[in-house]
Amino acid sequence: MNAPEVEPALADMMDAVLAETRASRSPRVPARRDPELWRRLDELGLVRLTGDERSGGSGAGWYEAAALQAAAVRHGIRIPLAEHDLLACWLLESAGLAVDGAVRTVCLLDGHGHAAGVPWASGAERVVVVWQVAGEYLVADAAAEHLDITPGTNMIGEPRDAVVADRASLSGVPVPTDRIAQLRLKCALVRSIQVCAAMDEALALSLDHVTSREQFGRPLSRFQAVQHLISDIAAEAALARSATEAALSAAVSSDWSAPHLEFLVAAARSCTGHAATVVVRNTHQVHGAIGTTNEHRLHEFTRAALAWRSEFGSVKYWDDRVTDMALQAGANGLWSLISP
Amino acid sequence: MALPRLVPRSTVDPAGTEELRHEVRQFLAEQLAAGRFTPSVDAWLCGWDEEFTAALAARGWLGMTVPAEYGGHGRSFVERFAVTEELLAAGAPVAAHWIADRQIVPSLLKYGTEFQRSEFLPKIVRGECFFGIGMSEPDSGSDLASVRTKAETVDGGWALTGTKVWTSGAHLAHAFIALARTEPVDPGHRHTGLSQFIVDLRGSGVEIRPIVSMNGAHHFNEVLLDGAFVPDTMVFGEIGQGWQQVTSELAFERSGPERFLSTFVLLDACAETMGYQQLSRSTDLGRLVARVAGLHQMSSAVAGALERHEPADVPAAVVKILGTTTEGDIAEFAHLAGEHTAGQRFTDLVATALDQRPGFTLRGGTNEVLRGVIARGLGLR
Repeated sequence: MNAPEVEPALADMMDAVLAETRASRSPRVPARRDPELWRRLDELGLVRLTGDERSGGSGAGWYEAAALQAAAVRHGIRIPLAEHDLLACWLLESAGLAVDGAVRTVCLLDGHGHAAGVPWASGAERVVVVWQVAGEYLVADAAAEHLDITPGTNMIGEPRDAVVADRASLSGVPVPTDRIAQLRLKCALVRSIQVCAAMDEALALSLDHVTSREQFGRPLSRFQAVQHLISDIAAEAALARSATEAALSAAVSSDWSAPHLEFLVAAARSCTGHAATVVVRNTHQVHGAIGTTNEHRLHEFTRAALAWRSEFGSVKYWDDRVTDMALQAGANGLWSLISP
Repeated sequence: MALPRLVPRSTVDPAGTEELRHEVRQFLAEQLAAGRFTPSVDAWLCGWDEEFTAALAARGWLGMTVPAEYGGHGRSFVERFAVTEELLAAGAPVAAHWIADRQIVPSLLKYGTEFQRSEFLPKIVRGECFFGIGMSEPDSGSDLASVRTKAETVDGGWALTGTKVWTSGAHLAHAFIALARTEPVDPGHRHTGLSQFIVDLRGSGVEIRPIVSMNGAHHFNEVLLDGAFVPDTMVFGEIGQGWQQVTSELAFERSGPERFLSTFVLLDACAETMGYQQLSRSTDLGRLVARVAGLHQMSSAVAGALERHEPADVPAAVVKILGTTTEGDIAEFAHLAGEHTAGQRFTDLVATALDQRPGFTLRGGTNEVLRGVIARGLGLR
């Protein structure tokens, strides 16, 4: 998701450092945060890319962050940059709390002080915890050791942990409700950006494969049936990207306050989730059996796309949200939902 | 590094056309309230209403991109896009002027002579001149280069002989642009020797026969040309350049909102009917609405590229494949879900959508041909 707004030199630097990391070591499963890489990225100002410069951030925006996410996905590097920078540290800053060099993630507790599937809690030093008391949201910057964290993983081995917090022991700072609504949209859009990047890379691998592999005496790409599978991959990935970029542009230009942003994010998640169905099916189909092996890199993108499309709301959840909004739009109101 | 983009990033600022969109919505609400039209499925093919066209012309919403010197409004392509999107989303009857406004205007501006521009553009802008398309033939569907209609030089012009089919609205339109052979086929260079001609559909040597659709409706025609005379002044573009002229304009024909909004009024009716609980709740509604929203973004991005005169054949093919499939999926969803309790209007919209559906993925280039266009864009062929 390289936006033209991103300086090519910055995008190249991001790509180069992640490519070099990938070349020097194989990915670990289950994924663990790589402290050496984290330090390196920190020195380059990429760990708190969007943070306030007065508190050690680089002062960049979401377009740059999206480019960084895409580069990490492209090189198969699992690292909680988005959770740390775009979600946890952003929330701390916006709540007026201090941000230091600790590695963070974010966690929304339910009414019992529990949270499931919290990304990267087990590798974090601190967790930005959000909970609700009497209709008001509170935010606290909790040390990981003060939380009860039971490790879990998603299907690609990234930490997705169960967290239990003793809310009475946390001193929370109140934040407005719409801030937490923004947090939810940010979480959702991060995954959309990641899935889009994974789908683009699965397409690139498929193009490489069908142009180099020969069967029946000619490259697979010469078969019309194969061309059509590839065209559908490309078309679906492009639609997901259009929907995701529309949400991202509206978010950035309105500082996440556009009234129709929730619709755009929900639509992006729906398009992205359903695109992954076609992209995963067809990229595996054109790769044949080799694409199902651990050795081949295809799974780094297909399995990741499947894992991520189901996080911060399943595809069904987002379809359901769009359905709600469509029903609320009323007679002849559907079009103004799509084009306000 | 990442692959080059297949579809350009959207650079169209929605705020730029917001006021215009609201004007069109206001106009549509007034027309609806006055009973001037009934929202319908596929109204850009089936909804021929010359009074409605005249009302649009009076508002300055026909031939929007035509320069003022030809009586036009000098608006941008992106503004035209916004207006047409609003009209299509409302299911307004725009068929009468559709072809003239969508593709004859940009074609005339690009290839037309001064005489042709002065002759046709002011009338198109006023909603007084309607066009058809003269490309397909009985033996020439997807393979357009195989057209057999012949144009032979005669005194003062050309005589055209052959048969054109699927000419929407030929029985009501004033003219069409016919693609014809001006030289015999060279098997090694099939795309050479083709030329375009502006043919007066009311002239001598032109016979128009209806092709009735499977639901009994009449939109399509067969146009028989039997030595139809075309004066030299009505040769369109350059003799021998027909193929380049036809293909260079395909992005205008393939990327527009008519490629994903043909059944939008039915989707709106689904939401309304589901809201009244006369249709069971289904998240497929949200899935389809989200898809239309994504297509709206993508189609806008292509409109921006066309405005910048960038080549857009491949992204247009992407819009058309996804969009026309989604139009059909909307018909399918409504039919699978629809009960008698949904009411007569709903049932009628569904029936029309199902009947029109096969055409969605055929007209303007079949989805199979378009997949080939994308494959070529990706370097596979």
